[in-house]
Amino acid sequence: MISCTEFIWVYAALFRFLEEKGGKDKVIEFWKGIADNFLGNLRELVEAEGLKGMHRYWSHTLGEEGGRHTMTLYDDMFVIDMHECPSARLIFQEGRDVPYADYCEHCRWLYPPLLAEYGYEADMDVINCRKGQCRLTVRKRKEAP
Amino acid sequence: MVLSLIEAYSRSIHKTKENIVPNVHKDFHGALSYGLQFLEDAYGREGVREFLSGLATAVYKPLCEDLRTRGLDALRDHWKTIFDLEGGEYDMQLENDMLVLTVKRCPAIAHMNEHDYAIANNFCEHTRIVNEAVCAAAGYTSSVEYDQQAGTCVQRFWKG
Repeated sequence: MISCTEFIWVYAALFRFLEEKGGKDKVIEFWKGIADNFLGNLRELVEAEGLKGMHRYWSHTLGEEGGRHTMTLYDDMFVIDMHECPSARLIFQEGRDVPYADYCEHCRWLYPPLLAEYGYEADMDVINCRKGQCRLTVRKRKEAP
Repeated sequence: MVLSLIEAYSRSIHKTKENIVPNVHKDFHGALSYGLQFLEDAYGREGVREFLSGLATAVYKPLCEDLRTRGLDALRDHWKTIFDLEGGEYDMQLENDMLVLTVKRCPAIAHMNEHDYAIANNFCEHTRIVNEAVCAAAGYTSSVEYDQQAGTCVQRFWKG
């Protein structure tokens, strides 16, 4: 069994394998597939509770993943400030495998498009992959006048 | 030293540098399962084998080196760490130069069943392929008999 504690290295190796086999488009197809088929629990929470559901989802996942971050839930905005991403730390700092250079890009494909389906604008700003720093900012999309 | 305390909805998370929360996020089993099915759909079972076999030279390189150096004690320690951390039910015996790991409740299968994650058609084959690749790199051999539906398996490891 591949342990969930080893998954991140396997995940990054899979990105590289897919890119070697089918180019970057194949990797993006995989990321879109994860968003469409695997993130059902995030979808349910966003649909039921909106920004509060996002806070609930990431409180659980980031709590288990063990990084260092702060989450801020406003009445009209939800923000994750990632100071030390646990995945990026494994990929870029532990040196077990050659880092997949575009590793952090997967979050851009997983979360903003999914949240857009529920009426939210999300900015996924990668600040520094090597240091595991990024920010996810989500706002309710304003209705067109 | 507690640097800050966040009251999450479900529990409190003490964020310390000295005692970082253990990285046990079992939903990753579901993501791995999705990845294995994606791989099989795109490149067939040979593609899955090619990918998983390649993990021995990178992701599992430290384990290969440990197995080469310390023998089956290395694998015994590896499985104990993982299954204890993930809360699996298992027996393990090292007798007559053979390590036998009997998994009575696979934590990956159990978690995916509990959370209704789709389980890849040939999910448990990854255990066979990765074990074979790790063992081959270190001069060992392995076998596995599994029941994916039940989430049980018997894995054997020996030199040669």
